[in-house]
Amino acid sequence: MSGSLRRRRGLVIAVAACVLLALAGAGLYVYLRNPERGLPYHDAFAQGRADEWQAFGGTWEVANGSMRNDSDERGAKLLTGSGHWRNYLIEADLMLLSAGGDAGLIIRSSDEEEGVDAYSGYYAGLRSLDNSLVLGRAGHGWMEAAVKLASAHGRVKALEWYHLKLLAYGCQIVASATVSPDAPPTSATVIDPHCIPSGRAGLRSYVSGGVWRNVVIRAATQKDVLAMTGRPEFSGNMAGQTASDERSGTLGFNAPVPRGSAYTFHSSSNTQPISSLRLASFGGPATATIRGSVILTAPMLFVQDSTGGISVPEPISPSLKVGDQVEVTGQVHTTDFTTSLEHATVHARWEGTPMPAVTVSASQAATGAFDATFIEVEGRLRKKEQGPNNTLIFDFDAGPQSFRAIMNRGRGDYLFATLKPNSLLRLRGVCVVNPVYTHNLTPFVLLLRSPEDVDVLAKPPWFNASHLIAIGFGLLTLALVANYFYTRVEHWRLRAVLEERERLAHEMHDTLAQSFAGIGFQLEAIRNGVPEEFPITHQQLNLATDLVRHSHEEARRSIATLRPESLESADLLNALELCAQRMVEGGSVKISTVSYGDARGLPLRITDTLYRIGQEAIANAVRHAHPSTIQISLRYARNLVTMMISDDGTGFIPNGNLPGFGIRGMRKRAAGISAKFEIAGAPGTGTQVRVDVSLPPRITFLSWPQFLWKYLGSYQTHDQSTR
Amino acid sequence: MKNSLFNTRNPCGWSRRSLIALTTLALLSGVSCHQPKEVTIAVIPRTSGTSLWEPAHRGAQDAAKAISARIYWNSPTREDDVAGQIALIEHVVAEGDQGLVLAPNQSLALITPVQRALAHGLPIVIISSPMPIPAGGGLSYILNDEEAGARIAAQRLALLLHGRGSIALLGINPDVAGIMKRAHSFESYLAKNYPAIHIVERHTGSFNIPHEQEIAEETLAAHPDLDAIVALMWSSARGAMSTIDNNPGKLKAKVIAFDAEDVQFNSPSLDSAVIQDTRQMGNLAVQLIHDRLSGRPTPSMITLQPVLVTRANANSAEVRHMTTMDWRPGWSWSHTP
Repeated sequence: MSGSLRRRRGLVIAVAACVLLALAGAGLYVYLRNPERGLPYHDAFAQGRADEWQAFGGTWEVANGSMRNDSDERGAKLLTGSGHWRNYLIEADLMLLSAGGDAGLIIRSSDEEEGVDAYSGYYAGLRSLDNSLVLGRAGHGWMEAAVKLASAHGRVKALEWYHLKLLAYGCQIVASATVSPDAPPTSATVIDPHCIPSGRAGLRSYVSGGVWRNVVIRAATQKDVLAMTGRPEFSGNMAGQTASDERSGTLGFNAPVPRGSAYTFHSSSNTQPISSLRLASFGGPATATIRGSVILTAPMLFVQDSTGGISVPEPISPSLKVGDQVEVTGQVHTTDFTTSLEHATVHARWEGTPMPAVTVSASQAATGAFDATFIEVEGRLRKKEQGPNNTLIFDFDAGPQSFRAIMNRGRGDYLFATLKPNSLLRLRGVCVVNPVYTHNLTPFVLLLRSPEDVDVLAKPPWFNASHLIAIGFGLLTLALVANYFYTRVEHWRLRAVLEERERLAHEMHDTLAQSFAGIGFQLEAIRNGVPEEFPITHQQLNLATDLVRHSHEEARRSIATLRPESLESADLLNALELCAQRMVEGGSVKISTVSYGDARGLPLRITDTLYRIGQEAIANAVRHAHPSTIQISLRYARNLVTMMISDDGTGFIPNGNLPGFGIRGMRKRAAGISAKFEIAGAPGTGTQVRVDVSLPPRITFLSWPQFLWKYLGSYQTHDQSTR
Repeated sequence: MKNSLFNTRNPCGWSRRSLIALTTLALLSGVSCHQPKEVTIAVIPRTSGTSLWEPAHRGAQDAAKAISARIYWNSPTREDDVAGQIALIEHVVAEGDQGLVLAPNQSLALITPVQRALAHGLPIVIISSPMPIPAGGGLSYILNDEEAGARIAAQRLALLLHGRGSIALLGINPDVAGIMKRAHSFESYLAKNYPAIHIVERHTGSFNIPHEQEIAEETLAAHPDLDAIVALMWSSARGAMSTIDNNPGKLKAKVIAFDAEDVQFNSPSLDSAVIQDTRQMGNLAVQLIHDRLSGRPTPSMITLQPVLVTRANANSAEVRHMTTMDWRPGWSWSHTP
């Protein structure tokens, strides 16, 4: 009954646990898919934090409380939020960094990759080329609807702030832009019947680069649609209509026009290749004009052409972005390893796509041949630290070379926190050999543009010191646990053996011994009934009675050896005394016991072995030595227990030729617990049986270091003595 | 017997427990059932978002729609980003797409990624420019007929110069095998058929427009009376047009371009452009992969004729068809209230 109840209770608990687990899983599933999880959102750019944003291309950095992409890359994206966001609105203040492209906001984005239109989602942006608010849908391809901004509303220009909103509600996609604070916002709306239902939000620029601030994302309602469009919910379906309404901007998506930039590149006629400038100033101060692509804007301007790169400190320059094609005129200044253009004037010509990095080895970069060049190099992270002026410094080893990489804080903080020393990294950055940066500690320094310039190729190898120590601790714990269980199992096994022996003793006592007693009684009765004139019969009966008595005594002795009588280590002496008393019961042999030291608990295996040896020694003394006294002593030392059974009997010469099974058995038992077994004696002086057994140390979590230290010490001593 | 799933003595008399177990099993198997995987064919052009390569997107989409396949379209943001194109090929292989259409940015550097993709059993069609890997074993080519393009350009040049004059040949890019063949074919045809037209300058080209403009400026400074520039790459053509248009009245050279990304003829110095039919390339490539996946025999090499675009035919239906950037067949997103 109780078993059934227990089973039922277990079943109920299991079912309840399953239900709870299922409910928790369902709750987590619902929570993660909640279309408003994480909303409303407000950026923390002002606090320099942007860990929740994920970049796809570009050079995204937090600067001056804003998110900035200084790259002319086509279609650089920065995404955040949940892929399950459905009806929501994103708005931000927005600045284009140049007039060659567009910048804006993304909504309901998914499947993002690096690439021009490599995402699925909606995008709204301000485009300066045709002064329009563009609203489009990307699906690894691009279709758009563009609303030309009314001239009265002003023109979209570079380096001016605008406010942009993009909303998705159901299949209504609405964008609105406030170009001038004095003019009403311009909106564009598309109802997309096969709309993308959900996705993340983000920022994006195409060629122009951009700056974003006050990014707010919140759940949207129909009221927000009305507020942005200024009219009730749309109805009807006018597929195919593509006419634009400059004010309300009710549109359809169409194929884009080619998004190229202006084809002319006004230039000076006397430009020089950058590599030639190293020779230009040998004859004295020289002025030169170079033309190239911007590869880095901060902390210094770097320009690269097909022959090399050059730094341009403190130029007179418009706002520049990575990828801009520029002409730079300045004084050539050459040092031992570097060339720069000083007091330079920079003219931005057009926006281009940023140059790809040149892949070199650290040894090649260390030659200085790639100074001021955008390179890609691999190295193993040795150390990381925070540097001055809000910078992060990473030290790398690469074969025989070492180098340093410097990155701005902000978005770099997350990378700094997650990168582990000994990781193998691929870095893209501008190689600088100028001692101002290297401090002559490394041959070159890599100036990184953004966290996306770092790829982790391999994490640190697992066999580092901390891992090995952890594994050591783990193995030790495992060994201790295994030892504990082994001891417990052995204990259980021994206890089972003892119980079986006791059962056998009871059986023998109840059957064999009683039978012997009965046979003896019967023989006695027969003998009493047989007349005296049958002496041969009496003699035979006496012999039979003696045989029965002897067998009875043997049976009693066997029973005594099989019955440990609550054999516990603390009672070992008592158990041996009791055993001895039984064996000599009815005789004149005296039994004395003595104990030295602090009697304490011994492992059951040792207790049992000592008991068996002592039992055999007492039995031998009783059988063969005819002693008057048998002394049993136990001596407890710190790590040693000595048992001695001595008698004052006839004694014998202990040598290896002793017949019989008893001594061999005792010796074998002693060897089983690694004990030292000795028999001493001589004819007429009695016999001493001595067993010395070392006690295993009690290893605990606190004592094991001490034990290990002693073990190693003894091992070393043994090793030295061996040598 | 009660506990067994099936009651063999009475097959119809299933226990309630058995029914629940079976129902659960059926539900679970229903949940875990997957729809047959849609065939995905990756198309990786040299770059995207340009009127040279978006037509390939449209062609691929047209073919994919006919066979109910899905097109994965992505590319590097620059035409010389070889590492980006290699990363995309590896991505396609890792994703387990069923086919790859590739317009290689570089002939040599892409050999290993392409061979590795072939080793994964991915059928590949190389479009536009060849690679030094023989066709067969899953690899096919749909190439621009560079000899025809060179012939068209030479004939146009001869018409423009009335069979006599001096020209410069810019944009010879050793990285792209198709452009090298274009250059050789052009020179051979010109020497054979129009010996009075002399090539006075030859320059290698890159996708770096400022660098190309430097080369054009140096060329025109050395030869201010140059009659024409034949630019084998669009970046070279842009550099040349910019140089000429920056010096109105001083330079008379006209530009004949290849692989134009903009055929709106905004530059007065642009005479004509030879454009390859990337739309047809994308379309045929997807069909080829479908045929190969279906076990049908496929040609290992197809060449497509380029077309000369001038101011006269720039807005013709044929050219608009070839250069469309409307990449969605049967576009249905657009609806207005």
